[in-house]
Amino acid sequence: MPTKLEKILEVQGLKKYFNAPRTSLFSREELHVHAVDGVNLTLRRSEVIALVGESGCGKSTLGLLLMGLEEPTDGSIIFEGQDITHLNDHERKSLRRKIQMVFQDPYESLNPTQTIGEIITEPLIVHGIGVNEQERHERVVKAMEDAGLKPADVYLNRYPHELSGGQRQRVVIAAALVLEPEILVADEPVSMLDVSIRAEVINLLAELRITRQIAVIFITHDLGSVGFFADRVAVMYLGRIVEIGTMLEVLEKPKHPYTRALLSVIPVPNPRLRHERIILKGETPNPINIPGGCRFHPRCPIAVDVCKISDPPMRDFSKMHQSACLLSDDSK
Amino acid sequence: MNRTRIILRKSAWAIFTIFIVIIFNFFLFRVLPGDPARAGIRDPRLKKEAIEALQVKFGLDKPVINCFETLNPIKLGSCTINPMETQFFIYAGNLVKGELGISYHTNRPVADVLAERLWNTILLIGAGQILSILLGVVLGIVAAWKARTSVDYGAVTASLIAWSLPTFWLGIILLFWGSTVGLPVGGKATPGISTYPLIQQWADIAKHMFLPTLTYTIVYMGEYTLIMRSSLIDVLSEDYILTARAKGLNSTQILRDHALKNAMLPLVTVIAINLGFTVAGVIQIESVFSWPGLGSAIFEAVIRRDFPMLQGAFLLIAVTVILANLLADLTYTFLDPRVNVE
Amino acid sequence: MQTTLQSDSTQNETTKRTETFVQTFSKSHTGLVGFWMLVIVVVAAVFAPWITPYEQSSSTSVGVEDIYQPPSVDHWFGTDDAGQDVFTNFIFGSRVSLTVGFFAAFISIMIGGLVGLIAGFFGGRWENTLMRFTDIMLVIPELPLLVVIVALTQPSLSNIILVIGLLGWTTTARVVRSQTLAVKSRKFVLRARAIGAGKFHILRRHILPLVMPILVIQAVLSISLAILNESTLSFIGLGDPAALSWGQMLNFAFGRGAMSAGAWWALVVPGFGIVWVVLSLTLLGQGLEQVLNPRLDTHHLMPGKPAIQKEAGAKPHHPDAVLEVQNLSIHYVNEGKKPARAVENISLTLRQGELLGLVGESGCGKTTLMLALLKLLPAAGQIVNGNIFYDGKDLAAMNEAELNQVRWSRISIVFQGAMNALNPVRTVGDQIAEAILQHDPSFAKDKIPARVSELLELVGITSEQRDHYPHQYSGGMRQRAMIAMALACEPQIIIADEPTTALDVMIQAQILELLDSLRKKLGLSVIFVTHDLGVVAELCDHVLVMYGGVTAEYAGVDVVYNDPKHPYTQELLKAFPDLTKPKKKLSSIPGYPPRLDNLPAGCRFAPRCPRAFAPCHITEPKLYTLKDNHAVSCHLIEGANAN
Repeated sequence: MPTKLEKILEVQGLKKYFNAPRTSLFSREELHVHAVDGVNLTLRRSEVIALVGESGCGKSTLGLLLMGLEEPTDGSIIFEGQDITHLNDHERKSLRRKIQMVFQDPYESLNPTQTIGEIITEPLIVHGIGVNEQERHERVVKAMEDAGLKPADVYLNRYPHELSGGQRQRVVIAAALVLEPEILVADEPVSMLDVSIRAEVINLLAELRITRQIAVIFITHDLGSVGFFADRVAVMYLGRIVEIGTMLEVLEKPKHPYTRALLSVIPVPNPRLRHERIILKGETPNPINIPGGCRFHPRCPIAVDVCKISDPPMRDFSKMHQSACLLSDDSK
Repeated sequence: MNRTRIILRKSAWAIFTIFIVIIFNFFLFRVLPGDPARAGIRDPRLKKEAIEALQVKFGLDKPVINCFETLNPIKLGSCTINPMETQFFIYAGNLVKGELGISYHTNRPVADVLAERLWNTILLIGAGQILSILLGVVLGIVAAWKARTSVDYGAVTASLIAWSLPTFWLGIILLFWGSTVGLPVGGKATPGISTYPLIQQWADIAKHMFLPTLTYTIVYMGEYTLIMRSSLIDVLSEDYILTARAKGLNSTQILRDHALKNAMLPLVTVIAINLGFTVAGVIQIESVFSWPGLGSAIFEAVIRRDFPMLQGAFLLIAVTVILANLLADLTYTFLDPRVNVE
Repeated sequence: MQTTLQSDSTQNETTKRTETFVQTFSKSHTGLVGFWMLVIVVVAAVFAPWITPYEQSSSTSVGVEDIYQPPSVDHWFGTDDAGQDVFTNFIFGSRVSLTVGFFAAFISIMIGGLVGLIAGFFGGRWENTLMRFTDIMLVIPELPLLVVIVALTQPSLSNIILVIGLLGWTTTARVVRSQTLAVKSRKFVLRARAIGAGKFHILRRHILPLVMPILVIQAVLSISLAILNESTLSFIGLGDPAALSWGQMLNFAFGRGAMSAGAWWALVVPGFGIVWVVLSLTLLGQGLEQVLNPRLDTHHLMPGKPAIQKEAGAKPHHPDAVLEVQNLSIHYVNEGKKPARAVENISLTLRQGELLGLVGESGCGKTTLMLALLKLLPAAGQIVNGNIFYDGKDLAAMNEAELNQVRWSRISIVFQGAMNALNPVRTVGDQIAEAILQHDPSFAKDKIPARVSELLELVGITSEQRDHYPHQYSGGMRQRAMIAMALACEPQIIIADEPTTALDVMIQAQILELLDSLRKKLGLSVIFVTHDLGVVAELCDHVLVMYGGVTAEYAGVDVVYNDPKHPYTQELLKAFPDLTKPKKKLSSIPGYPPRLDNLPAGCRFAPRCPRAFAPCHITEPKLYTLKDNHAVSCHLIEGANAN
């Protein structure tokens, strides 16, 4: 994977806090849900980066922030040199053509009263692309074929309920492709699909990265599914990226104790490899009360006293590999 | 967010609504053409002194709400008249004292007449509501239990028909039938009954109450049946009912220990919302059966153009409904443990 | 090939949508009855002058002897208090009702729809103000308000229409607002925003089409309510004297001695008209509701269907097994449709302390199979063949009372996604206690809290949380509480139906570890249903792979993973990611699972099988048993190892 490609997205110190509901009549405290709590990230053209983590880690919120569907509380997002952190509706709209999204639920992402043709043509109409119906039609057909919906006219007049889950995801992808985006944010695009058809969609995204030079931010809780397709992997915990590196680096030489625990508990389809599992106690804490010091320390199997006080910065382990832990060393 | 906060908020809101109703009531009657207050003062049956006394009492010699005869309350600062002396505040003040005006028709204070009638209406609504809720709930449970069988279809059809009947018409038909079988044709009690022992008085009232209550029950039962049925079917299709079956509980146990409480919650909400609409039924029933309550007070006030009575009755009914609504609403917060976390 | 242009296809879509609507609506008896009843009224109203034998207000003077004449050949419905023909007035009365109904409802729907839409869609201050206003209007009783306003203004028809319309919008506003909120939070609206659509585009293209059906139903209801209101107002004496509505007719009859004159026709007929119109609209509304907002109206307590067992006197092959299922077949039978053959000929054996993994994807029948073991199938489900041997008896042949002895105390079940598997209005501890007492009523009452705490502690939940409600527990905790409850009666077998699918991988690991240790400590046998091949490999002794309702492969875990013989198992393993081989390219199986009510001839996997050959599309393969109890249902085996 060439690293010489230009950076198209740079995220610095991105934060998103939501207001938490008050627990009692008399509390004066302003409570926040620290959904995203300081994220730095860069993305290059046609690169695939996997954002991995459990529920409450902020990966979906990060996706919404990058899409401009949520306003950041702090930090900046720079796209192709332009600061897109806070835009008005009009500016935001033209940006939509460049950054598009694929959602998790193929059953709910499509309006049941629209035909497939209408769904995929809609983005063109919204942005006023295409001088006449003929041209729009051509673009729609091309997007459909690129998304694997061939022959296109078989699908044009169908309704979503007539299609399978895998086909519906392809429709969502086609509707994103028709705008010719440069970045695709895919939020758990296959977790609601049967295992036997997940590869279909993942392979499609892998292909698009080559044919259309689209960069993909692949958000998932399933580390296993990104193996062959992601260039880099970023592991998130309680609103921060705790480890980031190339796919092989993170999967084979993880540095952060959370990553190690996560990798050790992911079940492997090989009965002869029943290995030692690092099972963390308890659950991910509420993002309203982020633990002091290193935010992982209450559950960390190797935490020491200094971890309770000091919030570790990202340390470099190689050109691409970083981890936010005071204790990880190069020997492992 | 805890319960106390919710209770306080809902109560404050109810009081605010009552306030709105008072303001509205005042303006409606003073401002619309045919200003009844003044019209009443021109009643030739009253002596001059009486008229003057009434004028002072109701502040009819004062401006309506401030310096202006119109509805402009904005320019308070530049006014030389004491706002407490405007018609509105005099009206409000009178209300607080329980003064609702003098009925044109009987020349008795409206408040007195309504106070007598209030309890009759409560008696009728009380009996009718209890019966219609009980029967509606039972029928709804049966319909849900036997969903999609002929029992269910029958219950639903009967309920739909009952809901479609105009209350007053049902009353007329029942009254007609009742007159042929010797039931009383109106009123609350047979004249002269008060000389008889208490038991017989109550029996007499019951006889008079029978048809109006029956009318009320038939009309409102239908709606409760339908709500209970759909609410119970919803509850019975939830996962925890399957868990209960898997635990080895039989149907009766499941219904009693898992389903009913959950199914009742929407019903309470509906009963609360419905209170305003059941009043409509009461007005009709009392009119047809000449039951001496607030509903027939409105009916008679309309016929006789007795505006103070109309205004007073309306206000009393509205306030009663708002308070009853509040009560039902608060009951809900006590029944649903999830309300603690809003 | 020249493709069709957009405008043509739009027109086709509209006609297609209308046809589907009409088709579905015709299936609703209620709706049809209501519709035709309404048509009759409308026809009567429109053709009134031609239907009625007399003029409406005849100028011919009438004598006293004409008043309250009973029905006769001259006057089908008799005469009224003014000697007029009741039938004529009755037919013309429909005009007033319909006019008031439609126009007043129109006003109400416009206001209510706008208020609800704006409040729901724009939210914030708009919503607050509008909904507060609506709530106030809702609480103030409608009829008294109507009466007061009409009494103070003038009782003309247009005035009545206006007032009824202006007061009747509140329920519509509430309903439209809820629906708008519901639609607004659906993912396709988020996706429209992601595409760059502006607020008005979203409102027009996404919100409105999905709110319309509700609005239509409300419109029908509003018409009926407006008609009832007008009748009541007229009856009270506030009707338009120039418009002789049915309510007016009743007002006159009631007030002018129809009762004492015994003139029942003057009282029954006009009221009947009101009932007819209102009922027609109510039924029409119900019918529309069934089409636009269909409810399934089934629930878990509906009586099930008895099991059919084709071979009498079957005996278990493995009497030492804890559970033995033989040739179990389950169909779903819905009226007017072909049965869905959800499970066919499945056999399995569970031994003491064994953990059996049941693997399959959506629609393979694994949940149906599990529910059938305890006969917890929904009303449409039926065991059409086979036996379930437990403790020397056949569960499939038992009645409810006998089954209730076995359920939970001997075999318990943990469902997927415990979001709602626990009753939200009862405490967790209470529900566990219920399980204990159900099967051991003599259990000392004062010892119950301790026992419940003991069970909760087994699964890592502290005693203080015993009296919490399910919504106070997190997802992982709820699932653990379900496991604690499943252990309450010390059962022999636990069925776990995708217990960790909805949970994070770390919580899943906790729960799997828990299950495994409990199994070893208590000697439990477990059937673990999942689609996750990794979990099965980690945990299970034996594996049963299901596809399309039948057994594809059934063997020990090592054999299934290292020497799978069924193409589906092989393909599934290729499609499943393996963290130890991250670069492995994942494959997928083209196509999708078969429809169980329309199965292809031959092997159910054949349409998607990369190794299918001629017999696969014609006959269903038998279950062949290879060495080591390795069962495979595939024609490829037949040639190699004849059974």
